[in-house]
Amino acid sequence: MQKTANSNFRDLLKLKSIETKLHFEKKYPHVHKYFLEKGLELGKLRQHSAKLISAGALTGTLLLSPPTGAGQLPTSTEIVRDISELGNKEGHELPQKELIESLKVMLPSEVRPLARDEEKRLEQMIKDVTSIPAKAALEGEHLNTSYGYIGAEQHLKRYPGDILENHGPYYKEGMAPGLGAWGYFSRSKADLTLNLIENEKWYAVVQTLYLSDWSERQPYLKNWYKYRKVMIVNTKNGNAVVAAIADSGPAAFTGKHFGGSPEVMEYLGGARYKKGAVLLFFVDDPENTIKLGPVKYNKINNYDHTIL
Amino acid sequence: MTTLFYDHLIIIKDLDKKIKKYTSSNDEMQELWFYVEELIHHRVLDCCLGNLPQKHHHEFLEMFHNHPHDTGLLGYLNEKIGKDVEKLIKAEMKKLSNELK
Repeated sequence: MQKTANSNFRDLLKLKSIETKLHFEKKYPHVHKYFLEKGLELGKLRQHSAKLISAGALTGTLLLSPPTGAGQLPTSTEIVRDISELGNKEGHELPQKELIESLKVMLPSEVRPLARDEEKRLEQMIKDVTSIPAKAALEGEHLNTSYGYIGAEQHLKRYPGDILENHGPYYKEGMAPGLGAWGYFSRSKADLTLNLIENEKWYAVVQTLYLSDWSERQPYLKNWYKYRKVMIVNTKNGNAVVAAIADSGPAAFTGKHFGGSPEVMEYLGGARYKKGAVLLFFVDDPENTIKLGPVKYNKINNYDHTIL
Repeated sequence: MTTLFYDHLIIIKDLDKKIKKYTSSNDEMQELWFYVEELIHHRVLDCCLGNLPQKHHHEFLEMFHNHPHDTGLLGYLNEKIGKDVEKLIKAEMKKLSNELK
């Protein structure tokens, strides 16, 4: 019965997609011809755009304002001076308060991909305040955005037969019906190591599927992203977590750009936190010395700004 | 935000939950996401081009092809169409959302 429902829904989407495409091509033959000549498939529009953005290293309103890009990258002296100025504003503040105040100044009012110079300043400030070497681009890899909305995800099955009851104490989100993009964490319960338990507990979801070169650079990219450590910072309250990438998503039409395990979301914003703006940077940790979980750079964590 | 100039207008609530419920692997889920993406892009462009006088189509396509993320395109469309294109796209997405329920 379930299989029939699955296949009906899949067929409905596929059929509707084909019908819409044919209708569009018939209604706008000149547009269809234009896209054919440019080699642009609308199904891969997001990847085309990501390619242009990464080539230009920036975002925003290009038609209405001059671009700011690599030519405006700050020098290391400028970064150090900017960070020092931020740190001196309020005297001796708690690190978390300092981070929140700095983010207010450094981030744009609306969530969007950041320009390279903005990311450089944030990397330096985050390292300065939390001691975590977080990078928007690592070993030449960069996500389509490092500043976006994170949404709550479910637990992932770690091995065949894994059940929700094994994932306490956070049961509310439930268990994802399917597997993560990298399949089971281990072949069996007996093979499940402490590291793999931590990887599922503190997992992050990123939109690898929309990377412009995802298909062309396999299997390298799939291996590179598997369990890659990232630092996620709640930009409203400064709570930060180091997580491991263990799934691909969320879909663009959800309005979210990242996902977090129940544990990640609980730490970032509390029990009712379902969606919020975050920074997500790779952790530069070649020696594998940085543990997954909360980044305790401050003795007091601030849950006052939890977004519902 | 930005990978596409209309990204902030295409949030379809609950569809992702339905897709997750009906799929058992990430590959299967991504296949369905792909169909939805195709549907959205065709419907949004149909909405824009259907309202935009044909004499502006080529200019719009050039700008869209070169800067698909540029939210300035909304301003361009508003000006040439003489209507609030964001409202038109939102209405189209609501319609699509109902069709997929």
